[in-house]
Amino acid sequence: MTNQELEIFVHGCGRKPQVLIATPGDTLRIALVRTGFLKEGQNDILVFAGECDEALSEPDEIEEGADMHTPVDIDLSLEVLGIKQHHHVHCSPCRNIAVEVNFTGKTKRRRFSPSATVGVVAQWARKKFHLDPPTAAEYILQFCNSTDQPRSDKHLGELVREQCSLCFDLVKEITPQG
Amino acid sequence: MEQPDQRLFQEDLMSAEYRAGVVRDLWGLPSLEVLPEGLTWPNVILWIAAAARPHAPERFYILLDAAGYRAVPPTGAFWDLSTRSQLDIAKRPKGKPGSRFARVFRTDWNNSAFYHPYDRVAAQSHPGWVKEQPHLLWTDCHTIVDYLEEFYSLLNSGDYLGT
Repeated sequence: MTNQELEIFVHGCGRKPQVLIATPGDTLRIALVRTGFLKEGQNDILVFAGECDEALSEPDEIEEGADMHTPVDIDLSLEVLGIKQHHHVHCSPCRNIAVEVNFTGKTKRRRFSPSATVGVVAQWARKKFHLDPPTAAEYILQFCNSTDQPRSDKHLGELVREQCSLCFDLVKEITPQG
Repeated sequence: MEQPDQRLFQEDLMSAEYRAGVVRDLWGLPSLEVLPEGLTWPNVILWIAAAARPHAPERFYILLDAAGYRAVPPTGAFWDLSTRSQLDIAKRPKGKPGSRFARVFRTDWNNSAFYHPYDRVAAQSHPGWVKEQPHLLWTDCHTIVDYLEEFYSLLNSGDYLGT
């Protein structure tokens, strides 16, 4: 990698993130076609730059809020888009992802950017359900009707399949016994 | 020549998920000059960042035996770079009594392994965990990033008190 090359982390729906090496002058489209995240001429995929954590600064009284994170114009260069070394880029068919989190019989809903992480949703949910800060971190997200608990660094857009929605239960972590 | 398990491990160290953690200073490999002489596969030393606590280090080193990776999880314990031996129990991270943290890093069990389903020795000696903690069942789809993220989360939780 030369001084002019950037290491970018690319995320997408249903696949593992990849490291993309590109130069600041490359258009994002060309760079993404190189990784296979985008096909030549493809225009039905939205691309988000950065990892969205708007939910963490949302006032508590807002119900069913939404991230304002907007997709970028992929025909612009990385430099113009402000995409720098070690930034994250997310490719998704979803403009946003409708998330439901269930806890003690109640449900909170919000629309998140595909580039928001599971960790951001978990923090938002703990705040939304007014969990006591010293014990809040013991509560983590688990897919509804499943025992799968996605890692906190996963982008929501990596987890969606056919629909732009995700359902989680907020559950207490189990302490190993025996 | 690299073994298949070593090749998989090296591949995962090149992955975007592992690299993203490195650039955020969440985990990484120590520099070559501090590694003990003769350290060879399947033994690997990594570090994991810990939350700031008075008189406690910013990161903990772990020595892993990753034989059979990814078919089976690694096993290992905290490592002391200065003495080039397992970290003395007195210097190990402590958690709130009764917490998950204290249980995983317990020092009254097997001091060469972590009490967690992602540790090969612990998992093999606790077959009941498969049912009790199915979300932490190690599969061949799991990688060293799952391992590091899990232990990073513990070392950065409110239950971590320091050393």
